[in-house]
Parts: sequence; C-alpha cells; structure tokens
Amino acid sequence: MLGVKNLTKIYGLGEVQVRALDGVSFTVATGDMVCIMGKSGSGKSTLLRQLGLLDRPSSGEIILDDKVVTELPDSARATLRLQYLGYVFQEYALLAELTAHENVYLPGMMLGERGIDFRKRAKELLELVGLGRRIRHYPKELSGGEQQRVAIARALINSPSVIFADEPCANLDSISSKRVMETLVGLNQEMKVTIIFVSHDPDDKKYARGLIVLSDGKIVTEGS
Amino acid sequence: MIKSLRVATFLALKSIIKGNVGVIVLTIFMLILVTMNLLFVPGLINGANVSMNSILVRTYSGDIIIGPEGDKTVINHVGDLITRIESIDGVVAASARNDINAYIEFEDNRVSRVVTAIDPAREKEVFEVSRSLIEGKYLDTRDRDQILLGIQVAGADREDIELYSSSLRHVHAGDKVVVTYSNGLEKQYTVKGIFDTGFIQTDLQAFVTELEFNSVMPNMYDKASSIRVKLEEGADPQRVIERIASMGNNLEFQTWEETAGLVESMTESFILINQILNVVNYLVAGITVFIVTYVDVVNRRRQIGIQRAIGIKSHSITVSYLIRALFYAIVGLIIGILFFKYVVIPVEARHPFEFPFGPAYLITQPSYTARMAFILLVVSLTAAFIPVWRVMRIKILDAIWG
Repeated sequence: MLGVKNLTKIYGLGEVQVRALDGVSFTVATGDMVCIMGKSGSGKSTLLRQLGLLDRPSSGEIILDDKVVTELPDSARATLRLQYLGYVFQEYALLAELTAHENVYLPGMMLGERGIDFRKRAKELLELVGLGRRIRHYPKELSGGEQQRVAIARALINSPSVIFADEPCANLDSISSKRVMETLVGLNQEMKVTIIFVSHDPDDKKYARGLIVLSDGKIVTEGS
Repeated sequence: MIKSLRVATFLALKSIIKGNVGVIVLTIFMLILVTMNLLFVPGLINGANVSMNSILVRTYSGDIIIGPEGDKTVINHVGDLITRIESIDGVVAASARNDINAYIEFEDNRVSRVVTAIDPAREKEVFEVSRSLIEGKYLDTRDRDQILLGIQVAGADREDIELYSSSLRHVHAGDKVVVTYSNGLEKQYTVKGIFDTGFIQTDLQAFVTELEFNSVMPNMYDKASSIRVKLEEGADPQRVIERIASMGNNLEFQTWEETAGLVESMTESFILINQILNVVNYLVAGITVFIVTYVDVVNRRRQIGIQRAIGIKSHSITVSYLIRALFYAIVGLIIGILFFKYVVIPVEARHPFEFPFGPAYLITQPSYTARMAFILLVVSLTAAFIPVWRVMRIKILDAIWG
C-alpha cells in the first residue's frame, strides 16, 4: 500500500514561494492502477517525483508498506528506488551509451540478488514489451515508443512493488501511446504491479481504476 | 561493495568504449607526454650525475683520498705505506702525490696553480689522465725538466674552453714554460703533453715527476701530501679505510663523495630544478584529467541524474569516473614508460647529451619510476574525483532537468 499524508511541496523563486503541492493526502492499494490528471502546472509531475523518492517534500509523509520513507537519507532512498520502485520518465531517460538490453539490466546489476540472472530477465522483459529483436540497439536507433517501452522494461527489472510513469505517452504518436498504455495495463493485470501514472490526456482515464485530479497543488477529485 | 564495483566498472568500460575517441586519445597522449617528461629530466640528471661522479673518480680524486692527520702537512714513509695499501683486498692501486703552489709563465701570461708531483707509472693505474692527452705524451718516471699541463692551464689556443682567459692561452706541447715555486725556486720546463679530461678541476692541474720534485724539494723524499687509492668495482671503501687506519700511520681519510663539493652542489641544483619540473608535470597531469572529467560530467549531468534516479548508488557512479581516470593514467604510464625505455633511451644512447664533463646517458631507477607512477595515479584520481563529487551533490531532479 502507498499512502500520502498532507504532502506539501513549496518551491522558492526568490522571495516568491510557489505551493506546487498543498496538503495532498490519499492512499493507493497494492495492485491498483491510478491516473493522476490535471492542467499544466497543477502539480502532477511534482507529486509523482515525491512519490518516486526523486525529490523531498517540504512537509507531510509518504508511507510505503506501512513505513514512512519521507525522511530517509539519500542512500536509503536510492536503495528503496532500486528495490521497490520503478520510474518511467516522460522523456524516456535511457542511457545513450548502453544498448536496450544493457539499459534494462543495469539496475539489476546494482541490486545483484543471488540466483537471478538479470541479463536473461532483461531479455525476457524486452520480449514482454515487444522489443525482443531490438535488444542490441542503442537508444538513438529506437523510435520514441520503443524507447519508452525499454524504459518500462527497465522499471520492471527489479520486480518493483510500484511503477511511477510520468506522462509516458507525452512524446509519442497515438499508435505508440496506445501500445505503451496497453503494456502498462498488461503489467498491472498480469504481474499485479501497482501503477501510478500521470497524464494530461482525458482518454487515458480509461486505462486506470483510480483517478486523482489535481488543481493548484490540491486534490479536487479522487475516486474511480 | 563488489556489486558497486562491478557496476562502476561496467559504466566506466561502456563510457570508454562508446566515448569520444578523439578525447580519449588526446587525454592519453597528454599523459604519455607527462610520463616521458617525468622520466626524462631525472633520467638526464641521473645520467649527468653518474657521468660527473665517474670522471671525478677516474681523473681527480680516486676512490679514497688519504691525507696526513691534524696539523701535519705530509705523510711519511710513503713507499712502504703504498705497498701495504696495495696488499689490501679490494685495492687496485695507490699513488702518492705532492702538491706545491707555483706560478707558471708563458710569454706575457702568468697563472697561479698547484703543481703536483706524481709517479707516472702508479698514476696510470689509479687515474685515466694519461688517456686524455690532446697534445704530446704522458710523463715517464725518469722524466726531468718536463711538465704536463691541463688544457685549462695551457689554453692551447682553444678559446672555447671555460677558463681560457685565465690560462696561459697559447701553450702547446714542446713549448717552454717557467715555473716559480713557492719556495722561491724558478725553473724552466718543456711541456711534454697537454690533457683534456673534460672535468675542469682535473684540467686545472699541472704535473711533474717525483724525480723532478725531489730536486725542487729534496727534503720531501718518501713523503707525500696525499695518497689516492683506486678500488675494485663493488669494493667497500669503509672497510678498506678501516684496514688502512689499522696500520697506525696517523692518517685522515676521505671518500670521493666527501671531496665532490662542486659536483654535489651541481647535483643539488639539478635535483631542485627536477623537483620544480615534476610539480609542474603533476599539475599538468592533474589539470588534464580534471578538465576532461569536468567537461565529461557536465555533458553527462543528465545521464548521471538518470543513473541515480534508477537506483545506481552515487559511489558507483563516482568510482566509474575514477576507473576512467585510472584507465587514462595507466595507459599513459604504460605507453610512456615503454616508449621511454625502448625508444628514447636507445636513441639518446646513440646521440648522448654532451656536457663539459663528458656524455650523459639517460638512467632511470625502478624505484623512482614506481614512485612517479604512484603519484601520477593519485593525482589523476584526485583530479577526477573533484568534479564528480561536485556533480553528485546536485539534486537528482536538477541533474536531470537542470
């Protein structure tokens, strides 16, 4: 279970302070698939970055499986990201010097659990997202949709409890978008991975079982 | 720890393989130059030092210099003493010398020099002056009224020599010079030969035979102001000194190192110059690695942010950059050392640098090379660590999105 209590994020722009998140609270059940929507500047990406432990909130708590993770030191947060969380960036965020296969198994190398062949698993994940024949390609040799699916496979390498996807289809054409979203839905249904994704496209609501709508850093709608 | 190192090595290897070949080659090339520079200067100083010390021992001091003890000015019973010295294991030969101050005149030129009386046969066994004649012949034991002059005394119309202006300038073998000894005796000598060893201290000397000297100073028979001893290679001078001292003749001893004041001061100056150049070289190496790493981490800031975001530990990323710096330094060192050893040294050996005291060959000491390599590696690691450490302090989101 993922819970958020009274989460606030304030950015300081000189003497002006911007409340990007303002007392946000909600819970997401294990295995759920939740879409975060809202207008541009509403705080969607900011919320996802706090949840993905890429940034620290100004106040409030993030609770992951009954543990408050908000105040953990950087090294512990890095370990949590590695072991329990997967993050899919809007701009794919693949490492240019690594092939698709290497991009996917790199976090597995870092985790390095005994008995798991991460190279084999990375190959399987790339096949799962439909890129079994492109494992030796470098990011620049892949289309945007393919890169995003590599990023999804990478997010899955350590069998995370939760995957965060920040507008995963923002830079994709409609066909690629559909394929990426269907991949996420498939993972949620087949692997029971909790997925929280941000989207500005109202059509993407159909992929989620839960919805959070933000406006000016506050939740204005929450439900199914 | 092993996992982190494995990831760091993987990232380093990938960035080297996929990195900009031009930048990698240029960085390694810089480090090759730095390595060769770090080897060349001390190699030359070592070579010059060895060459200087060698010529000092071979032409001027011998391995051990024996003098009278305390206020005494002469060593007595020299003939017997030399026989006993030469019986000691490790001693090749010994030669007695008597020095007397004198003025030497030729035409309008007059110089003040020490004239040294020698037994030419023994001197040939201890010193190599006889092999450095540029005019005339070496002295014979029975020679009288003959004198042997160093090039810095004779001048020999060689305006290129260091002390030409304070020499007799135009003296050649066969010319006659007038010597006025400090006891007031004035005598004319024929210059039998002129020698040029390349070592100024030696070439400032003038020699006559013992036989001749006994006619000038009859009371000096079987006496000497010093005895020069040549040792076998590898012989322990201190052990020989102890053996001679045990003979009980009230003598004072100096090894050649203790007489090498001029050489020592030159060596110290060389060492100081070398240290300054080394600091500059290490700075160049450090700055090169720093700039390359700095530019690299600035260009890859986003990539580093992504690596951190997907859970790669900061220390793995840092170590990956240190491995790259090590790679540059190790490759630079290996190529630099091999090139120096198998190309520079052989080429220099064929065309050695000529110094006033003779040719100097490049000599590298393994201990110095090891120390230099270690320092260069530490400098490279430190230089790489600083920019990476700075980037690692940036927040992940700032690293990715600026």
